[in-house]
Amino acid sequence: MKTSTEKARETARKELKSAPLESVIDGIISEKLNLDPSVLEHEKYFEIPDKMVMFYKYSYGEQSRFFSELMNHAELYGSKCKKCGIVHFPPRAICSECYGETQWKKVSNVGTVLSSTTSWYATSEFFDKVPYAVGYVKPIDAETGMLQRIDLRGREKVDPGAKVIARFKEDRKGVVSDFWYEVVE
Amino acid sequence: MKSYKQLKSERKRVAVVGTGQTKFEARTPQKTYYELALEAAMKAMNDAGVTPENIESVVYGIYNDLFERQIMPDTYVHDYLGMYGKAGIRITTGGATGGYAFRSGYSEVASGLSDVTMVIGVEKAQDCYDWAQGKTTPEVIKSIAYSADMTWEFPLGTSAASSYAILASAHMDKYGTTEEEAAMVSVKNHGNAMNNPFAQSPMKITVDDVLQSRMISYPFKMLDCSLYTEGAYALILMSEEKTREMEVNNPVWVMGIGSSNDKSFTGSRTVNDRMGRYGDIADLRNHYESAAQAYRMSGIQDPRKVIDLAELHDAFSFTEIQAYEAMGFCERGKGGKFIRDGVPMMDGDLPVSPSGGLLGAGHAVGATGVMQIGEVVNQLRNNAGKRQVEIRNGIGLAHSIGGPGSSYCSVSVLGVD
Repeated sequence: MKTSTEKARETARKELKSAPLESVIDGIISEKLNLDPSVLEHEKYFEIPDKMVMFYKYSYGEQSRFFSELMNHAELYGSKCKKCGIVHFPPRAICSECYGETQWKKVSNVGTVLSSTTSWYATSEFFDKVPYAVGYVKPIDAETGMLQRIDLRGREKVDPGAKVIARFKEDRKGVVSDFWYEVVE
Repeated sequence: MKSYKQLKSERKRVAVVGTGQTKFEARTPQKTYYELALEAAMKAMNDAGVTPENIESVVYGIYNDLFERQIMPDTYVHDYLGMYGKAGIRITTGGATGGYAFRSGYSEVASGLSDVTMVIGVEKAQDCYDWAQGKTTPEVIKSIAYSADMTWEFPLGTSAASSYAILASAHMDKYGTTEEEAAMVSVKNHGNAMNNPFAQSPMKITVDDVLQSRMISYPFKMLDCSLYTEGAYALILMSEEKTREMEVNNPVWVMGIGSSNDKSFTGSRTVNDRMGRYGDIADLRNHYESAAQAYRMSGIQDPRKVIDLAELHDAFSFTEIQAYEAMGFCERGKGGKFIRDGVPMMDGDLPVSPSGGLLGAGHAVGATGVMQIGEVVNQLRNNAGKRQVEIRNGIGLAHSIGGPGSSYCSVSVLGVD
């Protein structure tokens, strides 16, 4: 017996393949209201549906090279401080520890999990992906780590200290989700 | 930083002289956010024995514009409260919004800019609605997820729960804290809420109930997580001079405030940096720093001995365990043992969150930290009804946290003469 949530997920999943989430939700709103207008209270307190939508065009600024190397060459770059020597990952143009200038440095695809969690509950955008793990991964040659997805591959969780390796999507768009990590067996 | 002792000798202290709140509820279709704020404000003014004319400035704690469907929601609250002509500012620091709003209200009075300031936290957290799933929660957590860095973290499917679960996993790994110990926090706080008529989730539950509730973000189960809440809480702050002029008979003094923000990219809490003495990703470093500042100002040497009660920020049960350690109530890594020994229970040596905390009373984000401070005030005034704890030294603590990886923390210590 499927719960109403599971049914809703199935419908949305099917429709998401052909249409953007926003128009799917618009459709669901009008369908639900047609079927059962009492989903909104009108008698005592007047309720109505609403949404807030924004579109953007934005720049990665001085972090741009991270994304161009990722997209064009499937390589990971951090930044090494010329003054104190810390390798930041994600990169930053000026070291936040000492305000020294940094230089780009390719970092290893191999890293260590600092800590992670497995998500079993998510927003609409991610609910067809659960369970999935996210965690902070520090490349072996960097001092700091960044958040990334870690492929569970049948596991329930990934423990701190696990050794992982970066994998890259074929079709990369210059966004952080162009790569992920897998546990090294 | 001026010490409390010095402020007292100069008669420059700041008092909380009134509290007022709405019931904390899952949904409040009967009120808009400014109507909620007004209800709390009128109650607080009434409790303090002041009128709107006495209020010189207002600090609003409102976390999330997407919750309220409104940028600059404070300006509409200010209007609705009839506060036009007076200064009004808004604080938004995630789950720590209430604690930081209080810090700001304290600054208003301590600086001499105002003699009477009102701090109001309000949130209408559950108008966000996921029409695909027919539920509020997924859309509420989405609007919070936008607080994750939009370039580096949001696109990976992170959430508030996962952000704090990562800290808890690290704590379990480093110190051996268990899911059972965290579950005991949930049992305690849901139980404490049964004596709080304003609470959203009073429940008599067992450790097994918590362990068997559905997994949200490992190691957090459903009953390890607070629920989002709609409601408002207001406090009236007053200068020491004004309390004498108005003959306030039960002022609760602000003894110390400490606040600290750690790196919001949690993965960078690894370098041997200037917070390194407090630990790494497993330790709430800024909570240690906030407590240290607040204790220094208050002149408190041994918090475990002198504090009568604490309201700790238990958005997630594990976080309360981490906070026992950071507040200096027990040794580092011994937070689990602290609750196993029964110390934070209502009948323990140092009751924690008699209000029910966020797990029991609810998490009306901007109002939460204000509620926690209000609870400490009412406990110190021996005015907490069925959940009154024994006041021996007349000192209480409220702990307000938020942000990605708990990057915000503000600790307030209050006391009575």
